Amino acid sequence: MTQGATGSSAISIENLTKKFPSPGSADEFVVLRDISLAVDEGKFVSIVGPSGCGKSTLLNVIAGIESYDGGAVTIHPKAGRAGAQPRVAYVFQSPRLLNWLTVENNIHFVLEAQKMPRGRWRELVAKNLEMVGLAGQERNYPLNLSGGMQQRVAIARALAIEPDILLMDEPFSHLDAITARKLRFDLMAILASAKPTILFVTHDLAEAVFLSDSIYMMSTKPARIFKRVAIDIPRPRKPEDSALIDLEKALVRDFFSVVEANG
Amino acid sequence: MASRLQTIGLRSASILVLILIWWAGSAAMNDPQILPGPLAIAKTIVKDLHTPGPEGESAYFDIGITLARIFITFSASMIAGIGIGLAMGLNRLFERSLLALIPLMLTMPTILMVFLAIMWFGFSEAGGLVAVMAVVTPYIAVNMYEGTKAMDKSLIEMAVTFRAGRYLLLRHVYIPQLMPYIFSALRYGFGQTWKIVALAETFGLKFGIGYMFFFWFQQFDISQTLAWIMMFVILMLVLEHGVFARLESRAFAWRSASLARGRA
Repeated sequence: MTQGATGSSAISIENLTKKFPSPGSADEFVVLRDISLAVDEGKFVSIVGPSGCGKSTLLNVIAGIESYDGGAVTIHPKAGRAGAQPRVAYVFQSPRLLNWLTVENNIHFVLEAQKMPRGRWRELVAKNLEMVGLAGQERNYPLNLSGGMQQRVAIARALAIEPDILLMDEPFSHLDAITARKLRFDLMAILASAKPTILFVTHDLAEAVFLSDSIYMMSTKPARIFKRVAIDIPRPRKPEDSALIDLEKALVRDFFSVVEANG
Repeated sequence: MASRLQTIGLRSASILVLILIWWAGSAAMNDPQILPGPLAIAKTIVKDLHTPGPEGESAYFDIGITLARIFITFSASMIAGIGIGLAMGLNRLFERSLLALIPLMLTMPTILMVFLAIMWFGFSEAGGLVAVMAVVTPYIAVNMYEGTKAMDKSLIEMAVTFRAGRYLLLRHVYIPQLMPYIFSALRYGFGQTWKIVALAETFGLKFGIGYMFFFWFQQFDISQTLAWIMMFVILMLVLEHGVFARLESRAFAWRSASLARGRA
């Protein structure tokens, strides 16, 4: 992975190919073929596709925890931090908290990992817990919190490292519909002030349409991006907004036409 | 809370019943040369603790020696076992080379290990140490190894994504997940250790509870023999329940805290 000094894209991926060794044969299984995408700084971009299309693998490649076999992946820090190592935070499907550490220490864990100056820890913990609506829960243990609250801690943990890039892998898919809806609203409000670049993976088109500045649509067999859609509907948005619903319907039709064409 | 009191009550009651049976048996036999009563044994213990024994030392001295032997051999086995188990769990080379060896060590009967160690090292402290380590280390290593296999990979992935270094991973991700395995290894390993130490003391080491037990056995003094057995059992029970149980409840405070919340 290269870290360029200039360019307006926070994330740029060109012709990325990723293969997994196929068990029981000499062949390799191609997970991602010729993927290209660009995410501008401060934008919220979603990747929508069916399960198993390689969306999570793509995030892992960007996070630098998985290698790739061809193409180029470039990530940049925010404009104010040019030249620095870009900070990448990740929010997973499940909270993935360390249940034996208090909420506060879960955040300290990533602050230490990212070598954030110790003098700022208190401020970063307080600010981000406040932002996700969990002020006062510093000393509580994760297992005392509901699933929605745990996911809020995971979001606070990710934001605490002041990420240049925030990767989110279906972060609301394990929550009940009402909690998920509430969290989506809160995420919008949080991002209005925190403003990291976000790459958000989901299989839920309504969610993607509601949250994103633009959407990349992926198909399986072969895993590729077949469409990019810019969403110019002004914020703040409401999920019931007819413009959003119409767009979602149109995109669902697109999906089915691609799926049917692939057999 | 009520169930906890109940447990304590039931346990004390069953111990009390055992002592009563003992007392009734000794009263019926009425022969202190064969089965002295509980009170006579208690008196012998108190006497042994306060007066010099056949080697010129009170029982505290022998208890101290035995405890020191257990502590040293057990610590060495734990450290070696945890180290080997972690290495096997986290490193493919160690895993493949040691995996075949461990069952071999585990099938070796304990008493044979003690005899072998005595033959090689004589009646020395080194012999005891080798015997304990040969028996306890592989068991702890296997436990740790299984613990590493049962670790939640998604948490490791999370830590790596946030660029946590080796130390942070070990301290906050690996070790806490291994705690249940460490404690079960600790309990079993401790039980094994004191049995082997007692055996080694009985057969050849100078001083210690096992040594005194064997001394009185040779004199055919049944009250002294029983007194030393009782001292040993009481000491080990106190250690297991007083020390390990406390350590364990502290280590898992995060669990019980949430349980308490859940019930309320």
